[in-house]
Amino acid sequence: MFRLEHAKGLNAVVTASKALVLLAIFGLGSPAFAGVWDTGDIENGQALFNANCATCHKVTDEVLAAPGLAGISERWGASEEMLLLWIQDPQAAAELGDPYVKGIVERYVGTYGWMTGQAVSAADVSDIMAYVQNPPDVVASTASSEDCPTIDFSPETGAPQGTLWFLILLTLFLIVALSAASVKRVLKNAIASKEGHEKIEDGTYWNRVTLWTWENRTFVGILSVFVTAYIVVIGYQALMGIGVYQAYSPSQPIKFIHSVHVCENEIDCQYCHHSAEESKHAGIPSTNVCMNCHKAVKSGTRYGETEIAKIYEAIGFDAATGTYFDAEGNGGHPLPQEDFGGEPIAWNKVHNLPDHVFFSHQQHVEVGGLHCQNCHGDVGKFSVGRIAPVEEINALIDDFPGLIQLSKPTLTMGWCIECHNKAEISFASSGYYEEMHDRLRDDIRGNEELRLFMEDGKATVKELGGWECAKCHY
Amino acid sequence: MSANKTYWSGLDELDRTSEFERISGQEFPAERPIDEFLSDERLEKVSTGRRDFLKFMGFSLTAATLAACETPVVKSIPYVNKPETITPGVANYYASTLYNGSDYASVLVKTREGRPIFIKPNIAAPLGQVNARVNADVLGLYDSARLQGPTMGGAASTWADLDAAALEALKAEGRKVVLTNTVLSPSLKRAINTYCTAHEAEHIQYDAVSYRAIREVASADFGRNEFPSFDFSAAEAVVTLGADFMGTWAESLRYASDWASSRRPESGRMAKLFAFESTLSLTGSNADHRSMVAPADTGRVAAALLAELTNGSTVSGLSDMTQAAVSSAAEALKKAGPKGLVVSGSNDIHVQRLVGAINRALGAEGTTMLWTGNQMFAGDHAALAALTADMKAGNVASLLVHGCNPAYNAPDADAFVAGLSKVGFSVSTALFADETASRCSAVAPTHHWLESWGDLQRTAGSIELMQPTIAPLFSSREAGESMLAWAGEASAWNKYIQGTTATSSWNNALYGGFMDIAAVASVASVVMPTDLADALKAVNAVKGGKLQASFYQKVAAGDGQSAANPMLQETPDPISKVTWDNYVTLSRVDMEAMGLNLHLAEKDWASVVKVQVNGQSVELPAFAQPGQAPGTLGIALGYGRGASGEAIGRAAFQVTGDGEHLTDDNGNLVPIGANVFGLVADQQGLPQYTALDVTVEATGAEYALACTQMHHTFMGRDSIVKETTFGDYLPEKSAPRGEASWNKSMGLGVHADVNGDGEINALDKKTLDNFDMWHEHAVDEVGHRWGMAIDLTSCTGCSACVTACHIENNVSVVGKDEVLRHRDMHWMRIDRFYASDWSQERGAEEGVGVIGSYALMEEPSANPETVHMPMMCQHCNHAPCETVCPVAATTHSNEGMNQMAYNRCIGTRYCANNCPFKVRRFNWFNYSGNDKFQHSNPAQDAMTRLVLNPDVVVRTRGVMEKCSLCVQRTQEGKLVAKKASAPIVDGAVQTACAEACPTHAITFGDLNDSKSKVRATYDNNRAYHALEEVGIQPNVAYLTKVRNNDKA
Repeated sequence: MFRLEHAKGLNAVVTASKALVLLAIFGLGSPAFAGVWDTGDIENGQALFNANCATCHKVTDEVLAAPGLAGISERWGASEEMLLLWIQDPQAAAELGDPYVKGIVERYVGTYGWMTGQAVSAADVSDIMAYVQNPPDVVASTASSEDCPTIDFSPETGAPQGTLWFLILLTLFLIVALSAASVKRVLKNAIASKEGHEKIEDGTYWNRVTLWTWENRTFVGILSVFVTAYIVVIGYQALMGIGVYQAYSPSQPIKFIHSVHVCENEIDCQYCHHSAEESKHAGIPSTNVCMNCHKAVKSGTRYGETEIAKIYEAIGFDAATGTYFDAEGNGGHPLPQEDFGGEPIAWNKVHNLPDHVFFSHQQHVEVGGLHCQNCHGDVGKFSVGRIAPVEEINALIDDFPGLIQLSKPTLTMGWCIECHNKAEISFASSGYYEEMHDRLRDDIRGNEELRLFMEDGKATVKELGGWECAKCHY
Repeated sequence: MSANKTYWSGLDELDRTSEFERISGQEFPAERPIDEFLSDERLEKVSTGRRDFLKFMGFSLTAATLAACETPVVKSIPYVNKPETITPGVANYYASTLYNGSDYASVLVKTREGRPIFIKPNIAAPLGQVNARVNADVLGLYDSARLQGPTMGGAASTWADLDAAALEALKAEGRKVVLTNTVLSPSLKRAINTYCTAHEAEHIQYDAVSYRAIREVASADFGRNEFPSFDFSAAEAVVTLGADFMGTWAESLRYASDWASSRRPESGRMAKLFAFESTLSLTGSNADHRSMVAPADTGRVAAALLAELTNGSTVSGLSDMTQAAVSSAAEALKKAGPKGLVVSGSNDIHVQRLVGAINRALGAEGTTMLWTGNQMFAGDHAALAALTADMKAGNVASLLVHGCNPAYNAPDADAFVAGLSKVGFSVSTALFADETASRCSAVAPTHHWLESWGDLQRTAGSIELMQPTIAPLFSSREAGESMLAWAGEASAWNKYIQGTTATSSWNNALYGGFMDIAAVASVASVVMPTDLADALKAVNAVKGGKLQASFYQKVAAGDGQSAANPMLQETPDPISKVTWDNYVTLSRVDMEAMGLNLHLAEKDWASVVKVQVNGQSVELPAFAQPGQAPGTLGIALGYGRGASGEAIGRAAFQVTGDGEHLTDDNGNLVPIGANVFGLVADQQGLPQYTALDVTVEATGAEYALACTQMHHTFMGRDSIVKETTFGDYLPEKSAPRGEASWNKSMGLGVHADVNGDGEINALDKKTLDNFDMWHEHAVDEVGHRWGMAIDLTSCTGCSACVTACHIENNVSVVGKDEVLRHRDMHWMRIDRFYASDWSQERGAEEGVGVIGSYALMEEPSANPETVHMPMMCQHCNHAPCETVCPVAATTHSNEGMNQMAYNRCIGTRYCANNCPFKVRRFNWFNYSGNDKFQHSNPAQDAMTRLVLNPDVVVRTRGVMEKCSLCVQRTQEGKLVAKKASAPIVDGAVQTACAEACPTHAITFGDLNDSKSKVRATYDNNRAYHALEEVGIQPNVAYLTKVRNNDKA
């Protein structure tokens, strides 16, 4: 609560003095910075633009997080030195009181905030401006939807419904069949009584069934052995399946498509699930993280604007003006408003662990160095989140050479400890493990322990205690 | 352990009652009501036959199985706008300060996802200690009985309406008063001044428990308008006359910590403490020499001390025994000189003047008694009395009450209540509609301190800061902000605070929780002419009746402001071990004379007595307290809250066995205990917490007291405690571990000639490590080995560790009825053993000494010595519990921890039966869901459950649980080290108990880290394992208790 605005007052002093120094350098000692508009290298400029500018600016006149740059060479009404200074340190440039720069500040800073100063040289700026004025035709993104097939794991499989219909039909059929048989018997009896015969004493169905069974006892005996065995096997499998959620993929409030983000746009998993490296939870990205891109990307490739509009609704973003609403419904704010009070997006949790299991992403990702795919499979092919079956994960061995092949279903305890039994710990990987190793090495009893660990050439997680209850349950 | 001492947990054990014998043989002594359940009478009423029962059971089983197949859908809801500083799953810590009128503590508040869940000491700050009352206060934040917003006339209102009404009412003519506790906040003082100036109002302060006499003496005899800052860390000899300075008296938090630091035997220095008191207090139980003195004699003891020190006249009227104790105390004080200190809990000006004179004679000023500009306890009860009179006369136009509850704790609360109804406009800023607030015209609830900005200045040299750790849960408003609004100068409180004290680095101050400010130059000591003749005359004139009473505060209950905190209610009193109740402590001889029940058990209830003081009376159960001076009784203040059913929180009221609130004939809720603030006589502005002439009579009624002293006994195995005296310790200070006479390793006799004397006899012994029926666990020197060492010399029994542990580990509160059945869930308990020399009879039987040599002594068990011993799972390397678990639910880790896998446990309870320390707890109920615990268990309140620690699972019915050595913290600590690519820094991982301990008695760490503090403490020659002879090799060691009570 006290991290904010640490040194605003200080800034003003520093900026002013810095501005003078910078201007002195460029005003007196830097003859090279002239002809900024027409001497640069377009290809290098593109690379620099993508690295430094593209987060906020477009080369067209479209507004991203800041005004588009098309036509800047015609617009820029101050000196070229001022342009460089403006890019390197906008606040310092504004301090110097140039009327044109003052105009920009008045027009844009209120809406978009101050631009962040960029560490670029004069030559870099020339290259960037060359690119901005003559952008090559838009190059397709590195991957296309053809390269990134989405496996559509539809949340509702048709199977349960089919079974239900089957059961209903079967019941109806049985009712009809039994009724027919009953009618037939009544009619027979009626005929019999009319014709003066004795009533057919055929007893109940059950009597007839037992009679039939007795007559065909060999066949029934053999059949029942098979039926029993079948039921036992099916029952066992059903019981073992309780609590196994492989391929679980619940529907989600937003039809988020992982393949578009991960495969087509090559966004790193931890860009969105960033707390995987600092917390036990990988976390579901907060809406403001979505907005980092979707402030600009207003229309999706699959569902157009409908799904993205749900994010805007939650955070109060006005796609038309590119600004945010506040609690009173007034737009025009450059940043999300805390008091807006939008309804957060309630996702359905995919990877559920029981309350008594404490799993740490941090431990596995940061310390263990596992790839996300080791446990989550090829998420780049998924639409919404899904528990990847263990077979699918094993199949990734070609892409991830170190991948540990497992046999138990994903997200079961057997799966966890199977991996703990196989995964190796490198003592050299961390100063912590080095200390643990030294303690073993320097002690007689520890040395014996260490020898046992290393008999198979590696120390596994299990050998260092990874199979102990209180490592995960407390 | 001295050979001639016996240890006993209470009178039941001392007298070997049959109930005690029965209980000590059973881990789960409470009878299960199976017979009752199956009795014919009950069954006849049940319409369900056996066949129906089986059908229902079969159906339920199938339904439950089918339901289990369904995948539960769990929602996962991320932030819309994640605050930059919050990462889900990672704790944040904020420095803040607690001040509630009596306790003052610099703390760090742990928050998870924006919720405060744990309070620990801010050790970098000047007052970085916590006690049980402080760290349990995190529950108070979430109390759902808190006012949700402003009220007027008992109905919900809005701030705008309330402000308008207040401004209108303040225009009225008449006396206008702001009534508060001692205000320490410079900003609040400023706001009160603004308010007073705007409305010509006046500011009156009073403290719930008054220390006025000390301040008056400071002013009259020392020329100081402040409360003396006692420095116990510099003391070598201390005498306390009824001041419980380790538990509740004045700034006890700081004193306890300082006191322990002056008693480290290893340093060769050990302060000596003499206690003269009537009721056994926490301080008395830790005293080296304790004398039982009736309240009326306190002044005479002070006079006698002064006389001995100044070689003046002797004082008549003291018993020979007390006189002897005074002489030895005086001798120790003389020896200590300026490093001596005398404190008194009396609020009698004459006694305090004598105490001041003693300290001056010793030269304590400047060493143990400092003048730091301490502004604590500035309350003035005389002004309160005058105000009450004025209110009754109808002269008061408006009254603003903040931070105090006079309708509950004023000496004449009835008069205050009567006067309050005649005040034109009264407004309280209380968090609850408590005794006072519910009778005010309006309530403008302030923030809880965990939601507040604030500044506090106790001494001249520094200002401690408060900062919000959570956004206000309800529509409350800072009291200072309300005052400013009503003064017409509305201002945002956090900006206002920054305007009060200029600082160049507000952020740094906030980060650390305090800022040093330029201290006002110390004024030269003023020596005032002191004529003590009046004082001496006055104390000698005090006459006590046949029975005298003292009113004290209990360690957990304090002055009663946290009465609705179930965690504190269930924390056993460190001395009596009674939970959830208030009672009259009496001596055994007095109780026997009155024919009252001495022994307590589930079905043996306490006798209720009626105590009459000056025409007022209370009825409370009687408790036989060893160490209670005959002819005296003690009653705790701070009970009987919500006597008219005020909504102060659900846990503040008695519940029935079913968990419903108990109601009286009129349908009102029944408070716990009785309020004895009304028995306190106000002697010209100095409330006297003693009554010199009281009568007690049995009412014939009986009442159940849930006392844990008989729970988890050690079946007479005295090897649990080892103690020695400083005189015996010093010569063998450097003896190797296991060889000093006071901590000798135990040996077991073997049938072989081990010592080579040619004979096989009892002298042939082998050390314990030769005997083992288990395979060795490879934890020593391999990887980590988490261990703990507990210094019994430093432990005062204050119970801060108990509450810290239970809040950290989501330990269930089970309520009085279950405690009565021995089913408390305490992972950490403090065993309080009384130790006495052999009784007269035993001495005669054993033929020790000359027969009759005990005749002149008092019965030793009447004033026993006390040992406080924190007891939790010892994490035995050869754990008896592990070998008997049929499902391997409790196992040993290679880090030396005894692990408990709850989800594996099937509840056979074999482990508990096999645990020699009796530290395993069984979940008899689903405490977080069963209606029986609806008013006691914090997890049952939708709001209070926010305090649960998300890193520890909430256990369900039918499983065992016990101390985990805070495994969630060691796991986290290892991860931090792995990420930092470095070994674990010693001290970086702490258990909740070690962190909370104000006297640093508990050390935790990695025993395999040869440079760690815990390793050094573990190898100390005072270290021993409890029940060493059982051979279970615990990872917890205790350090022999050293008393400084050698006969001179």
